[in-house]
Amino acid sequence: MNIPKLVMKNLTRRKGRFMFTLLGITIGIASFVTLLSLGGSLKEEINRQAGELGANLVVTPKGWCAYEQISVLTGEQLPEAIPFDEVKKISAIKGLKAVPYLIEKTAYQNSPVPVIGILPEEMKIFKGWDIEKGDYFITVDEKSLVIGSGIAQQFKLSPADELTIRGERFRVKGILKETGSKDDIAVFIPLSVAQKLYGVGDKVSFIAIKVDDISKLDEYIQKIQDTSNVAVVSDKQLLRSVLSIVGTVSLTLQLIAAVAILAAGFGIINTMMTAIHERKREIGILQAIGAKQRTVFNIFLLESGLYGLLGGIIGLAIGLVFSSVAAPYISQNEFNAFMKGSTLAVTFDLKLIFGSLLFSLLISLISGFYPAWRASRLSPVEAISYE
Amino acid sequence: MNDTAIKTENLIKTYNTGKVKTHALRGVTLEVPRGSFSCITGPSGHGKSTLMHLMGGLDRPTEGRVLIDDLDITGLSNSALAELRAKKIGFIFQFFNLLRSLTAQENIEAAMMFSGATEKEQKEKAQELLLLLGLSEKLKAKPSELSGGQQQRVAIARALANDPEILLMDEPTGNLDSESESEVLEHIFKLHKEGKTIVIVTHNSEIAKKAETIFLIKDGKLDRR
Repeated sequence: MNIPKLVMKNLTRRKGRFMFTLLGITIGIASFVTLLSLGGSLKEEINRQAGELGANLVVTPKGWCAYEQISVLTGEQLPEAIPFDEVKKISAIKGLKAVPYLIEKTAYQNSPVPVIGILPEEMKIFKGWDIEKGDYFITVDEKSLVIGSGIAQQFKLSPADELTIRGERFRVKGILKETGSKDDIAVFIPLSVAQKLYGVGDKVSFIAIKVDDISKLDEYIQKIQDTSNVAVVSDKQLLRSVLSIVGTVSLTLQLIAAVAILAAGFGIINTMMTAIHERKREIGILQAIGAKQRTVFNIFLLESGLYGLLGGIIGLAIGLVFSSVAAPYISQNEFNAFMKGSTLAVTFDLKLIFGSLLFSLLISLISGFYPAWRASRLSPVEAISYE
Repeated sequence: MNDTAIKTENLIKTYNTGKVKTHALRGVTLEVPRGSFSCITGPSGHGKSTLMHLMGGLDRPTEGRVLIDDLDITGLSNSALAELRAKKIGFIFQFFNLLRSLTAQENIEAAMMFSGATEKEQKEKAQELLLLLGLSEKLKAKPSELSGGQQQRVAIARALANDPEILLMDEPTGNLDSESESEVLEHIFKLHKEGKTIVIVTHNSEIAKKAETIFLIKDGKLDRR
């Protein structure tokens, strides 16, 4: 016999209570790990998407809020608000290349698909696209589509297949080579065709800009704002702003999960106090046969700590599995729009693993401290005479 | 080492329950000779068990001293008292007081664990003791699977686990049928023959007849017979 063996026997003697208490801390840790892991992965993905955008500056209408800034990165539908004249004016500035985006949406086989209006030649150079199958646009107003490799794969589309957008039939002209970005899950049409199709006049959603000299970003921003009545953000500002929102959301969710763990901690206190009440006589017996106060304290603290350790390990495993397998299917919102069809990999970092386990263990030990202290302070005679 | 195993000097124990003071012991002085078979008898509620608890270091007196092998245990720390209980004293109670989640063998091993025995030593000794007490078939049985007599024999084995010199028993046959009582008494008498110092709190006249010394406790005071 040794203390850990005795502790395990004590813990599992009331299997139902053991399971429920364990479940409390397990669920808390699982949700904490899921949210922490997803938050980390989301940030990585946002960083990657910002890189894939390939722009140093993004020109948006004045007054756009954070939601629209996020949508620039996610490829969600955006309001069209910049007249094409402004695109021309900005394109005329020396030392930069400007490409407009008109981001709309359609549904194909009951799935939402982004439809992006582009200037074909400019965008091909800007993005460095290659064609996998079929051909690329030849004219700026041809009524055909070039689609991303992900869309082609998802809907089993090949060149010459047809797609209906807003009641009009379009032929797939070509399929882009995989880029690893949101371009893989979008449908591209010439800007003028998209503007007519969606009835937005000559407007575009935003303009992506690449500059020749990155050290003069501020100068370019000034020039653009002097030329046109628009807002300009650098890719870094955009990234910072999006990351800050994601960070706040993640933090809030993690705090909720932390509260769940804290509540589970109170569950442990309750379980331990009940156990001490029920096992009062046994505590007296242990003392009578030679257990020191410190030993009784350690026995109960270990019991409590084991809830944290086991709950932490199981919760961690569930959290990691859940965040990598189930989370992308939970709902379809802006955040996990990133995940759908992208190569999002859940972050399995050691800091997360050991941090969560440590947190779980710490909460359970703190929860067990008072009950263990109470148990160790019982008088042997009082405990042994308890019925 | 002198011939006295346990000595009490003017032991007083008073319980404060709210505003009421209960005097359980009112100055008990006695000596238990080494290797003797002693009984503590007297009416219920007059302080017999309290005296045994104080002699075994399970409780502390309000006044007076308890000496075990000339060592004044009244001033010992809780930790030192626990060590003393683990190594020098074996307790046997009326309601057996076995740990319910452990098997018969594990109950004995647990007692040895607190005195620092290795797991190998625990296992060997536990099996040896259970064999001696006729329970070799019940090593893996939990207390709920044992009869009263068998449970008390496990309790005796546990009390003997650390080979203590002193055995303190509180009504060890009080909860047994006559057949089990005879079995248990047989073991107790055998232990006395082997040289253990035995102090039994009992109402049982059969046991009292066999005792070399009887301490009669009435109203918390000693009437030596």
